[in-house]
Amino acid sequence: MKPVRYLGIHSIIPPYMLEEIAKHGKPHQRDMALRNLALAGFIRGQRHALGVLPSAAPVGHKSRAVYDCKHKDGQPPTGTLVRKEGGPRSKDVAVNEAYDGAGATYDLYYDIYERNSIDNRGMSIVSYVHYDVKYDNAFWDGSEMVYGDGDGEIFARFTKCIDVIGHELTHGVTQYEANLAYSSQPGALNESMSDVFGSLVKQRALKQTAAKADWLIGAGLLMPKIHGKALRSMKAPGTAYDDPILGKDPQPATMKDYVQTTSDNGGVHINSGIPNHAFYLAAMEIGGNAWKKAGKIWYIALRDRLRSKSNFAGAASATISVAKDLFGSGSKEMKVVQNAWKGVGVI
Amino acid sequence: MRIFFERSGGFSGITMKTAVDEKDLVPDEAQKLREMIEKADFFNSPGKIMSRSPQPDRFQYELRLEEKGRQHTVTMSEEALPAKLKPLVQWLMEKSGQTRKGKGSP
Repeated sequence: MKPVRYLGIHSIIPPYMLEEIAKHGKPHQRDMALRNLALAGFIRGQRHALGVLPSAAPVGHKSRAVYDCKHKDGQPPTGTLVRKEGGPRSKDVAVNEAYDGAGATYDLYYDIYERNSIDNRGMSIVSYVHYDVKYDNAFWDGSEMVYGDGDGEIFARFTKCIDVIGHELTHGVTQYEANLAYSSQPGALNESMSDVFGSLVKQRALKQTAAKADWLIGAGLLMPKIHGKALRSMKAPGTAYDDPILGKDPQPATMKDYVQTTSDNGGVHINSGIPNHAFYLAAMEIGGNAWKKAGKIWYIALRDRLRSKSNFAGAASATISVAKDLFGSGSKEMKVVQNAWKGVGVI
Repeated sequence: MRIFFERSGGFSGITMKTAVDEKDLVPDEAQKLREMIEKADFFNSPGKIMSRSPQPDRFQYELRLEEKGRQHTVTMSEEALPAKLKPLVQWLMEKSGQTRKGKGSP
């Protein structure tokens, strides 16, 4: 079979048109449209749908695009294309940060875990910057990245931190793999995976060993007058900020302080402190660069072992079994991972 | 009438809360609030308005309204926020911002 030329096609045919072709076209046209939609990531969170499509070539395909929303909101976000792969740097720092951060995240996944972009099929990484007015957030909307500028009083712009970018793009990876439900323990695991790989993107960009890393999430995102060094700490959950306006970092480090709440989808950004700290403990005890061994164990668990309803205990057994498969039964790595989950009271 | 509002979640996971008592508002503002609640059809809104495919790191809003022996709570996700409830949520966000800076009602 002649290889299908994906590249170029999806940048010419807009996604809404591809969707029409996918629904109503002739069989070969529908096939082309589906492949291009999958490549561009316009099929949302449907691993089973993508599973039937052939994999992209094993060659890495880094394709980034950054759009400027010019302070408009909306779903999906809309904007003007301001930088694409290989294009010149912009005068807009947020555009370059989104572009470079997406590149560093792509590189971690491709160079270390042999993953070809968010969907492992080389999908384009599309980012929207300057979303809404003074928007205090960044999110993965199922297909693309969206970044707010922050209010300038509490939060700076959300592209400022490379780990925030790695965090958001990892939500995309999780969506295509374990597809962890965004609620309670599976949701907190989903959040933790994003913090883990967000931190690893940063550590690798800075060429830091586990011992040298700060293990903070969003360092520099809080404005200088706020009493806090970051939003979360994997090393010491619950200590990232303590401020008269924001209150105190509510993250627990161990199961005994697990927070039962209906806020925040059942505390997904709160209880993620527990699996975050487990990863920190494992990476520190293994030593060296955290993305190499600890990161690989967590990545393979996310890719192959975790399911949408997996809880913390499920993550513990998944990572322990991956460590066993990669490094041997009774290996140092396996014991370290076991100790880490014991350390946070999950097993 | 009293309103309790909470925004949780988002990338930061920082929860913001505010409480508004109608009697603390100037008449114009109280009138505006009444209209927003009426237009939002708040007391007939379902208790949970969530997206079928939740987007990670979006905000979650919880709104509780109490008046004359009746009360109603609505929890909604940012991406599922109905247009008719948006002005009320935006107004409450502004209120909680003012309260944070110590400029608004106590």
